[in-house]
Amino acid sequence: MSWSITTILKIRSLSGFFGATLTLALAVPVVAQELSVPQSLAAGSNTTISTSGSGAANFYLVGPGSASKASVTLGQDIHLAPDQLRYAGAYAAIVCAATCNHAEFFVTAAKPASLAFLVHPSRVPVRQPDAVSGVVLPFDNFDNLVLTPTAINIQVKGASETLFSRAIPTRNGEAWFRTSSGNTAGPVRLVATAGDLTAQRALQQVASEPCNLRIKAQPTPRGIDVETDPVRDCAGNPVSDGTIVTFTGSGPQGKISIDAPIKGDVARARMNVTGPVVLSAACGVAMGNELRIDRKQ
Amino acid sequence: MQFAEKTHQRAPGHGQEIIHGGPETMFTRSLISKAMTYCLWVGSLIVLFSLAAPAIGPDIAVELDISNAGPRKIETQTEGRILADYRLAWADIAQALNSNDSGPVEGIFTGAAKDWFDQTVASQRQSGITTRYSNQSHRLQAVFYAPEGDLITLHDTAQYDRQVLVDGRVILEDRGIHRYVVLMTPGADRWVIRELIEVQNF
Amino acid sequence: MKLFLPIFLAVVTVALIVAGLFQTPAASADTVGITGGASLLAPKPDTPEHALTLFLGDMQRRNWRKAFGDVAQENGVDEQAMMQDWSGSNGSLRTFSGLEGFQLWPLHEADDSAQIRARLHWSTPVGPLEEVRDFHMMRDGRIWKVLFSKIEIPSTPAQVVPVTYLRWDLVTGDSRDSWGSHNVDAPRVRIISMNAVDSAEGTVIVGEVTNEDTVPAFVNVNAALIDADGKTLDEESSFDRIAHILLPKQVSPYRIDFPGILLADVKNVHIDVRPALVPASADPVIGVIDQKIEKDPQGNSVLAGELQNQSGETVNIPHVIASFYDSAGRVIWVSDGYVDRALVPLGSEPFAVEIPRSLASKVHSFHVVVNHYDLKNS
Repeated sequence: MSWSITTILKIRSLSGFFGATLTLALAVPVVAQELSVPQSLAAGSNTTISTSGSGAANFYLVGPGSASKASVTLGQDIHLAPDQLRYAGAYAAIVCAATCNHAEFFVTAAKPASLAFLVHPSRVPVRQPDAVSGVVLPFDNFDNLVLTPTAINIQVKGASETLFSRAIPTRNGEAWFRTSSGNTAGPVRLVATAGDLTAQRALQQVASEPCNLRIKAQPTPRGIDVETDPVRDCAGNPVSDGTIVTFTGSGPQGKISIDAPIKGDVARARMNVTGPVVLSAACGVAMGNELRIDRKQ
Repeated sequence: MQFAEKTHQRAPGHGQEIIHGGPETMFTRSLISKAMTYCLWVGSLIVLFSLAAPAIGPDIAVELDISNAGPRKIETQTEGRILADYRLAWADIAQALNSNDSGPVEGIFTGAAKDWFDQTVASQRQSGITTRYSNQSHRLQAVFYAPEGDLITLHDTAQYDRQVLVDGRVILEDRGIHRYVVLMTPGADRWVIRELIEVQNF
Repeated sequence: MKLFLPIFLAVVTVALIVAGLFQTPAASADTVGITGGASLLAPKPDTPEHALTLFLGDMQRRNWRKAFGDVAQENGVDEQAMMQDWSGSNGSLRTFSGLEGFQLWPLHEADDSAQIRARLHWSTPVGPLEEVRDFHMMRDGRIWKVLFSKIEIPSTPAQVVPVTYLRWDLVTGDSRDSWGSHNVDAPRVRIISMNAVDSAEGTVIVGEVTNEDTVPAFVNVNAALIDADGKTLDEESSFDRIAHILLPKQVSPYRIDFPGILLADVKNVHIDVRPALVPASADPVIGVIDQKIEKDPQGNSVLAGELQNQSGETVNIPHVIASFYDSAGRVIWVSDGYVDRALVPLGSEPFAVEIPRSLASKVHSFHVVVNHYDLKNS
């Protein structure tokens, strides 16, 4: 086969071209996409992730509450909406073209927007040491726990006395306190404040165990009417209405017992017995006096 | 089991006796019956072993250090319960994020943590993403236990293998230390997670 | 031939149906002093036991008209009163009960009169109940009849009874409330005593629990028996042997039965009480009068007395729970019993609860608590 010189030259130039291209392709490295992310930012922020490279790619954002996918162009910035970064935690921004590259960043809680206030107990007897306790936790407006130390002012006020008033900084996201209950039965208000934020709770101080329980009795045509003096604790607080007083009578016919609730500070019962009877009463750990009555039929 | 019976049939009009179940058929049938018996034995053994064998689940190691807990001292029973419930929580989290189904974590989370986890699963499902966790180990330290025992704060230094996949293709693979601040509160029958926040440092 | 079998079967079926209609209920196999069996057709009640058997059978079947025919008319008993006395009223436990069976013991017999003791086995929603009742019989010509005392239906004169006792309602709060704002603590309840007792049926845990709070509490006591190896032998609850709703400072006995478990096998007892907030009322107030330990007609030790309703509402099903103490003040037994008659307003009913023979001599004192179940609250 004979070749013209022109053909030979064309073939040589083409092969040279392809060879050069192949050489260039092998020698020049491919430029991988890179991501530039902020170190950390507050929840609900606007932010931008910058990318390098060129061409189309898929962008993934994986984090708490978020697992999104979007098509992007490398070399252009990727805007993240506040809604995508509402939850505090670690996020991974991933860009995939031929290969995948990723970068991680952290979202922290925004400034406090509400306070959770846990108080115990809801009812506390008076004069109990360290009986009342509480924990305050600040949250941002996305319900993320604010871990940066925040000063919380706590006040505990009874009807006529302030039981506790102090500023306590949060540690690990919480501030806690403990205090004794007051002397007077009644409602107690607890207020926690942090800047403009306030949380209020209430608990009830109730009378302690009854003290000096005394009874009196009166024979009547219908039986023996037994009644307590106003039942109070040792601090003078009236014992809650509804508290049970057990009246007992012992006589030749047997024993009689009536569980009667206190109403208006006093418990009453009618014992339908005749003859000599010994009356007594008990409420909680308090025992009352004894009375001997002889009711004739 | 032997197939020993032969049936004899005299074809009408023919003098030749037709015997069913000749030697070759007998051998085949014997082989089949032996094979069936063998399969039955093997299958029974497999069932027995699977029943006896411990359940194979994700391998998760959890330790809890309560030495710094306060102001309330953590009770022994509470310590055991928190360990068990936290381990169970991470097993369920791994299963939920792998299958994109919130069902496994029902009752594990409460409050805001429940909301963000449900949202994570929903958005993974929407974008075709799944996350796989394996070889988990969690070192917990109790840093706060409320005076009434109704709240506990834990610092979890966790290590695990994580893969993020899209349509079966791995787009992110890592193994590293992850730090979590965990808030747990007592639920009806277990401790539940109220906050699970990954942080850079405690 | 073909038709013989179906016809034969049909005839036998009809005969058996007829026989069943006239069958009198057989008394229990261990009836004393009475020949067993029953006749197919109603015979004349020519013995006191036979007459009482017929009467109780009619009452069991609620065949009031026929039963009333077995009653002597000497004391002016009327059918309606007899029916109401037997079947109960005012939503009492008796109104939900049925007579399962009975046993009879003749006590004495003369020419014209006799006395027979009957142990009646009642089937009730709260389990089997037993009642021992003496029946007087009298001869009327050639047959015997039951002599009923005039039945007094309790009634209260019309009046206004003020309700002045406290009531507690429970408000559960909004689900939108923030964390910590729902805080209403469960009532503070404390077990004040616990004692493990060996009984014929097994191990029994008895004791008392009190409500130390200022609000009513719904309580239940649970116990687990642990053996020497630390394994749990059994777990049980107090079920209904406790007054579940405790008002502030109220004390209730409790009893937890572990049938079939020997006390010697028990190394440890884990006990806990689970209180919950519940709406409640301090009304009705029920007095317990004339309480004393005595022997019942069968010679068993019982704590007997009378329940007195001091309020204006009917107590449908009263339930008595009694704790018994030894000389050291330790709870050694808890007995309970339902009164199968309702407590009408300002009315009273007797009660009796058994004390085990083995413990009767050790009882030094006792305390009775009255629980109740009301139809309007169920």
